[in-house]
Amino acid sequence: MTRRLFSTPEGIAGTAILALLALAALAAPMLFPRDPLSIAGPSLLPPFHDPAHILGTDRLGRDVLAGLFHGARVSLAVGIAAAAAALFVGAVVGTIAGFAGGFVDEALMRVAEAFQIVPGFLLTLAFVSIAGPSLPVVVAAIALGAWTGPARVARAEVLSIRERDHVAASRVVGMHPLEIALREVMPNALPPVMALSSVIVAGAVLTEAALSFLGLGDPNRVTWGAMIAEGRAVLRSAPYLSIIPGIALVVAVVGVYLFGEGVVEASASRRRYQ
Amino acid sequence: MTILNISRRGLLGGAAAAGALAALPIPAFAQQARRGGRLVVAADSEPRNLNPAIVASNGVFFVSSKVVEPLAEATFDGLEGRLATAWEGSADGLSVTFTLREGVNWHDGRPFTSADVAFSALEVWKKLQNLGRVVFKDLEAVDTPDDHTAIFRFARPTPFQLIRNALPALTAVVPRHLYEGTDIAANPANTAPIGTGPFRFAEHKAGEYYRLTRNEAYWGKGVPYLDEIIYRVLPDRAAAAGAIEADEIQLAAFSAVPLADLDRISKVPGVEVVTTGYEALTYQLVVEINHRRKELADLNVRRAIARAIDKDFVVKTIFLGYAVAATGPVPKNDAQFYTADVPQYAFDLAKANALLDEAGYARGANGKRFALKLLPAPYFNETRQFGDYLRQALAEVGIDATIVNNDAAAHQKAVYTDHDFDIAVAPPVFRGDPAISTTILVQSGIPDGVPFSNQGGYANAEIDAVIEKAAGTLDETARIGLYHDFQKLVATDLPLINVAEWGFTTVKRSSVKNVANNPRWAVSNWADVWLDA
Repeated sequence: MTRRLFSTPEGIAGTAILALLALAALAAPMLFPRDPLSIAGPSLLPPFHDPAHILGTDRLGRDVLAGLFHGARVSLAVGIAAAAAALFVGAVVGTIAGFAGGFVDEALMRVAEAFQIVPGFLLTLAFVSIAGPSLPVVVAAIALGAWTGPARVARAEVLSIRERDHVAASRVVGMHPLEIALREVMPNALPPVMALSSVIVAGAVLTEAALSFLGLGDPNRVTWGAMIAEGRAVLRSAPYLSIIPGIALVVAVVGVYLFGEGVVEASASRRRYQ
Repeated sequence: MTILNISRRGLLGGAAAAGALAALPIPAFAQQARRGGRLVVAADSEPRNLNPAIVASNGVFFVSSKVVEPLAEATFDGLEGRLATAWEGSADGLSVTFTLREGVNWHDGRPFTSADVAFSALEVWKKLQNLGRVVFKDLEAVDTPDDHTAIFRFARPTPFQLIRNALPALTAVVPRHLYEGTDIAANPANTAPIGTGPFRFAEHKAGEYYRLTRNEAYWGKGVPYLDEIIYRVLPDRAAAAGAIEADEIQLAAFSAVPLADLDRISKVPGVEVVTTGYEALTYQLVVEINHRRKELADLNVRRAIARAIDKDFVVKTIFLGYAVAATGPVPKNDAQFYTADVPQYAFDLAKANALLDEAGYARGANGKRFALKLLPAPYFNETRQFGDYLRQALAEVGIDATIVNNDAAAHQKAVYTDHDFDIAVAPPVFRGDPAISTTILVQSGIPDGVPFSNQGGYANAEIDAVIEKAAGTLDETARIGLYHDFQKLVATDLPLINVAEWGFTTVKRSSVKNVANNPRWAVSNWADVWLDA
């Protein structure tokens, strides 16, 4: 699988970008041990002028490079946590709906539709403005808008899997239906659901940035979205303050997409060889 | 106010033949005011209630001060009559007599009389207005011996100085015939005001604009010059700068153009940056403190926080020099009451750390002494940025502050009703007299929920006594002396920390004339503003 992942250009590029981002996130506390929000030097220093602040400083004199590294932590953490939460909730709900069928299926799918007809970002925005901006709330809010996709895919898979022989065999030996659903059906339904993960991670990173941009992120942490919003007030005189974190955001999202593409290609080719 | 006395026909003729006008001899000392034209200005907020007699705030005044007039307006050297032409206080402080302007009509044609003033004072300013409730609390009756005299009678001696200082902001007169016998707070004239001012309220398109048109029957001779004023709603500050460069709007007041853009935009041909005209609208950057927290109830801790704040940094980096460092609760630019003779807390981290150690809050293993919840007011870019700065400044002395961001409504509820804060950043306004909106920031016994008041649970009998005494002191020198004591006491005990004071900036096209010619210019009536062709 790994070998196949590296056989596609998307896989190589995506993995490389994600590895770099992960490295930046992990190394941030070592490279920039001070609080990235602390005032480190003169304000509005342009990039590549002072070796102490390679990417310059913002309106209050905070180091842009330190913000970029620490921001990678938040972006990746939020992206992965939100995607994990959405996939978990979606897979469980979808499996139960598909396996139980009947009234339970109807009820759960109507709930999912209720979430689907509200634009995901609006839902997230409303949730954060009511619950107050903090990292766990942001993660929960993004998951709230993203769990329906995995739920529908999981349900569709389960509908076909539950008719297979090994499931019938489990029934015959007297396994509890819940055990059958979670141990026999769900693991088999997961691969196509997982394929959604890259889309969800990328979406979550963007949603987190948009929330921070609107001032609904956690103000005690540096995030790329908040950096872009901060820079907007001085867009005409110091555009680099918005452009630099903007580029970071683009690179991260493209990286996640490429990685996802690579994984799908790799698994598809594995199926072909089988 | 200098109003050029020119016949209307002559002016219109002149405007019709602008080429010929240039050849006319124009007095060298002043440019000839041109009549006509539409002034488009940026509005960054969009108040629904436009009744300045109920909501005395700059956001409302910005639009409604052109429509509804006060008894008098501030000038650079005192007051100038609007609806009143003279005012005199009695020696015992129990009455003030206003002589009202004759020949003034409301926009609906009815005559303006002393009954309107009596109604506004007793039913609106005293009962409903955010600031009037304090200043006019002892107002008992308003006698109207004739149509153009109003005598205010007070139950307790009330300083004439305070009433005078309150005239520009607190005394907008509304028409009795539209309000009497109705629910004043829900009257339709609150959203479409009818006044006596130089401009009539024409319409409000929510989310788009307010439109005011010239009042042809205005009492001022030859004014107003403008045909129309449009307030274009532009909540995005970056958009205001772009719109003025493109000449889509001609004026942006109240620092609608971000400070960081001023340097660049001042170099654009045809655009001017004006920093005067806000002298009587000084905003103060204040750290509000919740004295219910035991750490903050300790004076040494408050002094340490004051010493941890680098006021020079705040002025230079956050306000880019468009502010001055504060010394106490009265701003430096107030000529009547300000004293510099108060304890000062220079920026000194070593001393701040020593004070905190002395107070018994040693640094823990992680270098932190205790944690605080910090709520920056969301109204201005600068208050939010100062919140970011304050968090870092406190971190330097081992206080771990967590920022909680709220929108305006949630912020007011958290701080002034629920007291759910440890420290907050607030921008109160100094309105020419400490008794109007400043003493309320430290006075005890204020009910929960009153915005911009002492909601930090602070109570100091000595400060309360000085405030009480000054409220009934008629002699002006003695009253000023008491407010000097007040400033000293506040700076000594630090119920709150005054960090900086700022006025706003106006960005305008060069064609807009007579801008910033009084200390409350943005919220004055603009009768003499004109547009050069």
